[in-house]
Amino acid sequence: MPKIMIIEDDPAIREELALLLENEGYTTLVITKFTDIPAQAAQEHPNLILLDIGLPGKDGFSLCAALRKAVPAPVIFVTSRDAGADEVRALSLGGDDYITKPYSVPVLLARIKAVLRRSGSGPEQADLLEAGELRLSLTKGVVSSGGKAVELSRNELQILACLMVHTGQIVSRADLIDALWDNQIYIDDNTLSVNMTRLRGKLAEIGLPDAIKTRRGMGYQL
Amino acid sequence: MTLREFLSNRLKCIALQVICVGLATLFLFTTGTQPGVLVILLIVFLLVFLTVNMLDFFQQRARLLELKSILDGLDRKYLFTECVPQPKGLFEQRLFDLVRLAGRDMTGAVSDAQASQREYREYVERWVHEIKTPLTAARLICRELDGGTRRKLIAELSQIEAHVERALFYARAENPEQDCLFRQIELEEIVVRAIENHRSLLIQNCIQVETEGLDCIVYTDEKWAVFILGQLLQNAARYRGEAPVITISAHALGKQVRLTVSDNGIGIPAHELPRVFDRGFTGSSGRSRGGSTGMGLYLCRKLSGFLGLGLEIASKEGKQTTVTLTFPAKENLTKL
Repeated sequence: MPKIMIIEDDPAIREELALLLENEGYTTLVITKFTDIPAQAAQEHPNLILLDIGLPGKDGFSLCAALRKAVPAPVIFVTSRDAGADEVRALSLGGDDYITKPYSVPVLLARIKAVLRRSGSGPEQADLLEAGELRLSLTKGVVSSGGKAVELSRNELQILACLMVHTGQIVSRADLIDALWDNQIYIDDNTLSVNMTRLRGKLAEIGLPDAIKTRRGMGYQL
Repeated sequence: MTLREFLSNRLKCIALQVICVGLATLFLFTTGTQPGVLVILLIVFLLVFLTVNMLDFFQQRARLLELKSILDGLDRKYLFTECVPQPKGLFEQRLFDLVRLAGRDMTGAVSDAQASQREYREYVERWVHEIKTPLTAARLICRELDGGTRRKLIAELSQIEAHVERALFYARAENPEQDCLFRQIELEEIVVRAIENHRSLLIQNCIQVETEGLDCIVYTDEKWAVFILGQLLQNAARYRGEAPVITISAHALGKQVRLTVSDNGIGIPAHELPRVFDRGFTGSSGRSRGGSTGMGLYLCRKLSGFLGLGLEIASKEGKQTTVTLTFPAKENLTKL
């Protein structure tokens, strides 16, 4: 599991961020002593560093340069400073990305994933999801049940994966749309309905026509 | 200063000169001077007076023109008295001393006001950065709540963030040159950022977003452009209609790039349209729906001015609103 080092001076954000990232399957390393951070990093070999700029003592900019010398891990600046000059400075000092607070959780996770993928230490994603008789291969985009298999489109795959991760729970339409929203593709309610119908059709092909239940006014459930 | 103005100003003096000449002539005539000599004397007198007056006129006019050109060349006009050449003549000197004293007092007052405005702006910026920390923490904590409550809270947090963001840009708009960072950027990057920033708002309101032809290069400040676009998205979401759709499209117009943000919302009544960019103006829809600040479009127009962006709005009540942003050509940016 990729190890993420969190350098942030606000205790509430520090704790919540660590919790969030651990739930997402990352190992976290929370810095609480703000002296000699590069040495702490060198000891722990993180795969990624989340770095705040406004820190007690040394600021994030100079720290970034020092961290760059100490460890090969990519650095994402996470800061409330949003002047254009700050971003340019951060990126020129070797930062890999620059996220401004307040960020939304999905955006933060997506950017972390992207930077990890670029640096070649992305999480080994569980390729195979299972729920009851359903098996979903995320890399091949194929869902199978009882020997029969069918290929899914990107959206169908995302919807099914989201439902399978929360097997038994009700997943609201808004949550599904949230999961489907990507950088360039903006899914709306109609698109979700269309994809849901298609996905059900495909599931029917492999003998599971009623796998996804509609819970009126609440969402969907697998 | 025209000759007529000069003469009418000098009227008393000239009248006095004429009276003196008349009296002298009368005196000489009664004491027996020959009329021929008198006529010559009279012509000489008049010539001397005319020359002296005309010389005065040209001198004064030259002096005034010189002062005017110094004033025109000054960036801060109130520093005029500090820059003028040494005045000639005692009266002008004293006058200048007085004006200079007044000017100095004003310079002091202006620089005090500027300092306090700068301090206030710095405070607002620091405050905005500080408030973002607990907002971020609140967003992270929200994650632990169940669906409905979480979404409602995140929507409220987004509202707070939007207000905070407007306050920050309001403060920045006072000294735009400190923040503007023009560079070449893909229009798509700006649009994606703006949409990303308003992700929860758009999803919450089931808004369909369509983008088209955004692979244009523009020269602008990314942060400001994202902010302006964000205000437009917020408006489109706030004043949405049934089955809301926002279409963001762009096309090149010579060397300029024109970006249109169009929605199928409730629109703006024609008689309110000319005032939507006014500070604090909330239209009838803004008042009936509540929560309108009348600052969004005002800030858009102000910031567009600094970025050299063309900003136009058109609307059909009950049907749609279209805002057009025209990004300037690179060559035109140097004069900003």
